[in-house]
Amino acid sequence: MEVLKELGKGVLRELREGKPPKLKIPSRGTSNIVYDEEHGYYVLGPRYEIRSASSMAQVKKFAQTLCVAEFCKELVSAGKFATLREMYYTAEGWEPGPFKDQDESDLLVEDLEAMLGLKREDLALMPEEDGAAVFGDLTIREGDVTINALKAGRGGYTIPPTIDEVEFVKCKAKRVIAVETMGMYHRLVQEEAWKKFDALIVGLKGQAARATRRFLKRANEELGLPVLLFTDGDPFGFHIAMVVISGSAKLAYVNHELAVPKAKFIGVTATDIVEYDLPTDKLREIDIARLKQLQKDPRYGSKFWQEEIKKMLELGKKAEQQAFAKYGLEYVVKEYLPAKLKEVEGA
Amino acid sequence: MKTLADELFEEFREHSVSEFFRKNAAMLGYTGKVRSLTTVVHEGVTNSLDACEEAGILPEIKVEIKRVDEDPEHLKVAVEDNGPGIPEKYIPSVFGKMLAGTKLHRLLQQRGQQGIGISGAVMFAQITSGKPALVRTSTGDGKIVEMEVSINVDKNEGEVHSRRLMQGKWKGTRIELELKEVTYQRSRYSPFHYLKMTSIANPHAKIIFEEPDGTKTVFERVVKEVPPPPEPMPLYPKGLMADDLLVLCRNSRSRTVGGVLIGELSRMTKQKVEEVERLSGVRMDKKPQELTWEEAERIIRAFKQMKFMAPSASGLRPIGKEHIEKSLKQMYEPEFVAAVTREPKFYRGGIPFVVEVGMAYGGKAGREEGEGERMELLRFANRAPLIFDQGGCVITSALRDIDWGRYGLDPENSPLTIFVNLCSAYVPYTSAGKQSIAEEPEIYEELRFAVMDVAREVRSYLYRKTKQREREQRAGIFEKFLPIIAKKASSLAEEEPPDIKPVLKKVTGIELERGE
Repeated sequence: MEVLKELGKGVLRELREGKPPKLKIPSRGTSNIVYDEEHGYYVLGPRYEIRSASSMAQVKKFAQTLCVAEFCKELVSAGKFATLREMYYTAEGWEPGPFKDQDESDLLVEDLEAMLGLKREDLALMPEEDGAAVFGDLTIREGDVTINALKAGRGGYTIPPTIDEVEFVKCKAKRVIAVETMGMYHRLVQEEAWKKFDALIVGLKGQAARATRRFLKRANEELGLPVLLFTDGDPFGFHIAMVVISGSAKLAYVNHELAVPKAKFIGVTATDIVEYDLPTDKLREIDIARLKQLQKDPRYGSKFWQEEIKKMLELGKKAEQQAFAKYGLEYVVKEYLPAKLKEVEGA
Repeated sequence: MKTLADELFEEFREHSVSEFFRKNAAMLGYTGKVRSLTTVVHEGVTNSLDACEEAGILPEIKVEIKRVDEDPEHLKVAVEDNGPGIPEKYIPSVFGKMLAGTKLHRLLQQRGQQGIGISGAVMFAQITSGKPALVRTSTGDGKIVEMEVSINVDKNEGEVHSRRLMQGKWKGTRIELELKEVTYQRSRYSPFHYLKMTSIANPHAKIIFEEPDGTKTVFERVVKEVPPPPEPMPLYPKGLMADDLLVLCRNSRSRTVGGVLIGELSRMTKQKVEEVERLSGVRMDKKPQELTWEEAERIIRAFKQMKFMAPSASGLRPIGKEHIEKSLKQMYEPEFVAAVTREPKFYRGGIPFVVEVGMAYGGKAGREEGEGERMELLRFANRAPLIFDQGGCVITSALRDIDWGRYGLDPENSPLTIFVNLCSAYVPYTSAGKQSIAEEPEIYEELRFAVMDVAREVRSYLYRKTKQREREQRAGIFEKFLPIIAKKASSLAEEEPPDIKPVLKKVTGIELERGE
């Protein structure tokens, strides 16, 4: 881990010169999070915080930061992974003393990610939760095991937190269709949508986990597959799609590793609600407030989004992706998705 | 044949002195069961200290308070000193005659001033227990006299009840008084507190105290020099009143009024006498005994128009900054102590006084009150503790008007003892009880200045202390974490750990300069 080694060397250099060492940590405050129009996702601005070993308030944190770095280095060289929580507990025995709570240790991990330009997965730290389910003709290798995502049962291949360690061996699919709910995932699997559309079906299970987003990014960039996002037709569905596309503000310092700016949202749009005459629910107050927030969000600056949000507000209605069942269970695969695919890819 | 009037008159005479005392007992400090006891101790100790000082002896004073019988309010007080002793023929008048003494008609800075002190205590004993005082004294000539003395209230004279002569090598005076209607307790107003304060203001004295339960406390001597005896100070013309002038003229051996003025007053010269004659129209070669009230008033008026050199304060005997500091250190074992003895100032146009203030911070200083600590104020006049009537005293009001916050102090919550001594040949007490000092503007101002002088020193100590604590905390933090940083960095870099001493030195320094 050259980056971690360099970090140590830098500190040593300053110590040898008799200077109190300093760490330059990109500031993650809201005022330093800017929307990168060119890439289409949030990035950190140019501001830095200096963590100095000459400051009484910071010297402990400085020492802890290096402890986290050393912990990561040991993990990497041992080829192991640890969760943030495991690290938090390990820290009980560290020389600077334990952390007050896990937030404190998590923040130091974010510091390291931002400072080194790496994501935590590179530092052998993994998120708690598993990623999404994948069904389709994709062959991967995890260590000694080779798995085909068609032969992992109906539940599909579960994206592990350590997705970056997974090797894509072979892929016959031509696109990825990621859906918000597992209900829709199973519908698409049953209706053999993967075969019909040459697709990898990904069940996001709500807001996509880091591992899922890494998977989608790798599928998009390494395998060159277009990523299509199919969510509920409501502000929360919109945002599930948008976080996959543009990343979140909170993770601005690693968005370059997580965002899939080329991914496309296919529905359910407000237009779909009207055109397919879908069964709807009334927008709740919280939906309206959220939609108004999105209107002002730079990620939703495009004409498409502005129109869709406006339309939904005018309608005062929302629809779930499973609402297509009104026209029969197969309808979504037979009619809706082909139409949408044609719309985004065909022309 | 006696008339009714004769009878009444006899009755009246027989009760006169004791009635006077009873009526004025409160004024003289004999009020309440606790305070009366403290006053008795005060009178005894004051006499002893003054006697030792005048004789140039380092005082060692023993005070004992014992139960006499089952009655907890029946106590015997003994005060014993190693002073010069009292010649036998004076014993009856020293202890048995009120308003007698060596101090009247002299402008001297001493603890006692009115000649009522010890005979007042004898009187108090006599009227509560009916017992005479037991006096044992020797001037060091190998003979020890023991006498039982009481006051003949009819004649205002000492009455000897018994006399015993003993042989022995001893010098000093011991007086024992039996009292009733007094209570012993260890409060702020108790003899214990009084003696503790006396010890602080008289660091040259050793005081041994035995309480009724047998507890023995020794307040050790801190300095080994006897304060020089105060010098009598001639009166200053501007402070004089017509009556004073007439008294001087009546008692003077000079043959002319001019002679009296030059002989008895300070800052008077021949030229000044001529000026007085010119301004007042009173002939200065007049016989002093023939001066009339009206003429005396004219002379006083002339004084007011004239210019005199500032009065002399050479007769004042402050305790001194060093001695106050030593004393406070000994008593409170404080973290910090500071004191000031200010230059003499004058009030009412010519009465010199000196203010002394000392402060002890930390250690045992400050009055403990419940869980917190509070400032403790110790008031003194000519080294004598003032423990009653604190509220009406100029010392209290001067301190109350200080903005303590400016000095990093909180009167409600600081471990601070403040010592204030006012020295003057004439202390303006608010009453004959002599427990609080009147609000003279010059004294008030001077007290404030003195307190602020010392408070500034306390503030800079507190500042240094805070800085020091911060410095240590900082150093501790860096000493803990910098080695970890060095170790972890070398582990990351896979290199030998560096010597961090230069950086350690630097960062503790950097942080200090920044001060935050």
